[in-house]
Amino acid sequence: MMVQLKVNGELRSAIVAPETTLLGLLREHLGLTGAKLGCDVGDCGTCTVIVDGISVNSCLMLAGKANGCEVTTIEGLATANALHPLQQAFEERGALQCGFCGPGMLMSAKNLLDRIPQPSTEQIKDALSGNLCRCTGYTKIIEAIADASERMSGARHA
Amino acid sequence: MATKSKEAGKSAKYTAEVTARDLQPEVAPDRPKLPGDKPVVFPIEFPESEGRKQTPAVGARATRPDGRLHGMGQTKYIEDMSFPHMIYAAILRSEHAHARILSIDTSEAEAIPGVLATLTGKEFANNSFGPTLQDQPVLADTVVRHLGDGVAALAALTPQIAEEAVKKIKVVYEPLPAVFDPLEAIKDKILVHPPRSNTYTSKVIKKGDVEQAFAEADHIFERRFTTQMVEHVPLEPHAAIAMWDANGRVTIYSSLGRITLGREDISRTLGLPQSKIRMIGTIVGGNFGGKNEITHEPVLALLSKKTGRPVKGVFTRGDEFISSTTRHPFIMDYKTGVTRDGKLIARKIRMVLDGGAYCSWTGTTIGKGSILAPGPYNIPNVHVEAYAVYTNKTTTGAMRGFGAPQVCFAYESQMDEISEKLGIDPLELRLKNAFHEGSSSPTGQALHNVVVKDTLEQCADRFGW
Repeated sequence: MMVQLKVNGELRSAIVAPETTLLGLLREHLGLTGAKLGCDVGDCGTCTVIVDGISVNSCLMLAGKANGCEVTTIEGLATANALHPLQQAFEERGALQCGFCGPGMLMSAKNLLDRIPQPSTEQIKDALSGNLCRCTGYTKIIEAIADASERMSGARHA
Repeated sequence: MATKSKEAGKSAKYTAEVTARDLQPEVAPDRPKLPGDKPVVFPIEFPESEGRKQTPAVGARATRPDGRLHGMGQTKYIEDMSFPHMIYAAILRSEHAHARILSIDTSEAEAIPGVLATLTGKEFANNSFGPTLQDQPVLADTVVRHLGDGVAALAALTPQIAEEAVKKIKVVYEPLPAVFDPLEAIKDKILVHPPRSNTYTSKVIKKGDVEQAFAEADHIFERRFTTQMVEHVPLEPHAAIAMWDANGRVTIYSSLGRITLGREDISRTLGLPQSKIRMIGTIVGGNFGGKNEITHEPVLALLSKKTGRPVKGVFTRGDEFISSTTRHPFIMDYKTGVTRDGKLIARKIRMVLDGGAYCSWTGTTIGKGSILAPGPYNIPNVHVEAYAVYTNKTTTGAMRGFGAPQVCFAYESQMDEISEKLGIDPLELRLKNAFHEGSSSPTGQALHNVVVKDTLEQCADRFGW
């Protein structure tokens, strides 16, 4: 079947088998390997991408359902000139260790800050409830998101 | 608390028997000095390490060299790599915890369009591997010993075809009685690796005379502590890609954490010299001890040899739970003799480790677990005995701490019980018994740079005990 969608601002299309997931489409057909397959059942969140403003587990969404949608992946976060403040904060605060959960964590965080620019710690934890990390213990990830939120609001008010 | 200081480096045996003069090579005095002329002089002097001193780096923020790529989603883990004409492997796992394999029929799977090769255990030069004891088949060919044992494998054009086709491999089993409880397994009524005993390794540590000390103790505390099996659950499942080239060399990309050690095992299973095996370790998406040995690498290598194509294999999350290693469950019987004022004078510990179906890193776990079992306390009389036994369960192996967390749970739980019974503050009880500078470990090592008490006091101070 033919799927046409906008990925990171670019119109893309692919012919895929009907059982292909959005994650499979992104990774195998469009060459965007940032989102990972961790558990394949929607528990770990390392496959998180943003579809029409909602963060989703792309391993659970069929590619066909994403037809006509606008998708943002980790590859669409930085510009050619600069990292996204979230990426900057994650890097500086050592919020990523093995890095495998990173793309999903960052996309969940991005979606949170899009909706709530200055979230409380509770709101950050809530937004990450679908993302598992086995290395960091989450502390630095939560700090990094709060840090990015501050930087972004500083930039808005400047 | 390592023993690398000047005092600990001084081995009594060496100082007595070997002197610098004994080692002086007999050379003509006019001969020019050669590098090998400089003798090793015992005892070896260990200068105070700069690294041990507090430096301004402590407490400073450090960034990872690979942090940027991680944050940009640009890090290439195995599953993010692909090669031209690459195909995909799938492994059929056992249906039984313990069974004899009567026959394996791969013909129906082979007939499926898109399946390029099948593989069984008999095709390996040596169908056994293991980092310490080679007791684990790459693919079981005569007996399956736990549910996670692979019995056959195939490679196909897509992961979907591979996954469907592997279900068409027909295996006929004769189920055998299985043993799951390590306390049953230790009786050797059902053998996991006949004719060998289920108890495949043990350790005994003795210091002083525990029985005498128990007779002198004011209080005796006895309790059994047990811990459960734990899976590492790295977010990245085990993954590898093997490419056998026309020169008879194989290149393996693997999520394995110990590629040099792994290459030895791969070399033995394939009957291929190590010089013909190129291992490429990639960034690992979480290891925690679970990626310290090979798993499916030889399978992928042979499938690549048979098809002439790069072959990728990735564990499903289900495979991770049943086929990769886990943390050993411990059954620990603690008996501790204490004086009225809370001094530990004797501790006797008997431990049974659930070894699962294969050895893996059990030797390291039983060693470290036993040495640490009495806890960081000055106990003059200690007796530890530990046994690791096979069961028809998921293999237990390396996991952070190698047995240390299990025994810590037991001895600290008992410390709490002692403090409650004797009415001594838990912190005071620990301070009263904890190792100090120069204390001797249960195995007789002199301990240096001991900061247990300082740490406890600082912690208590900070959280307001």
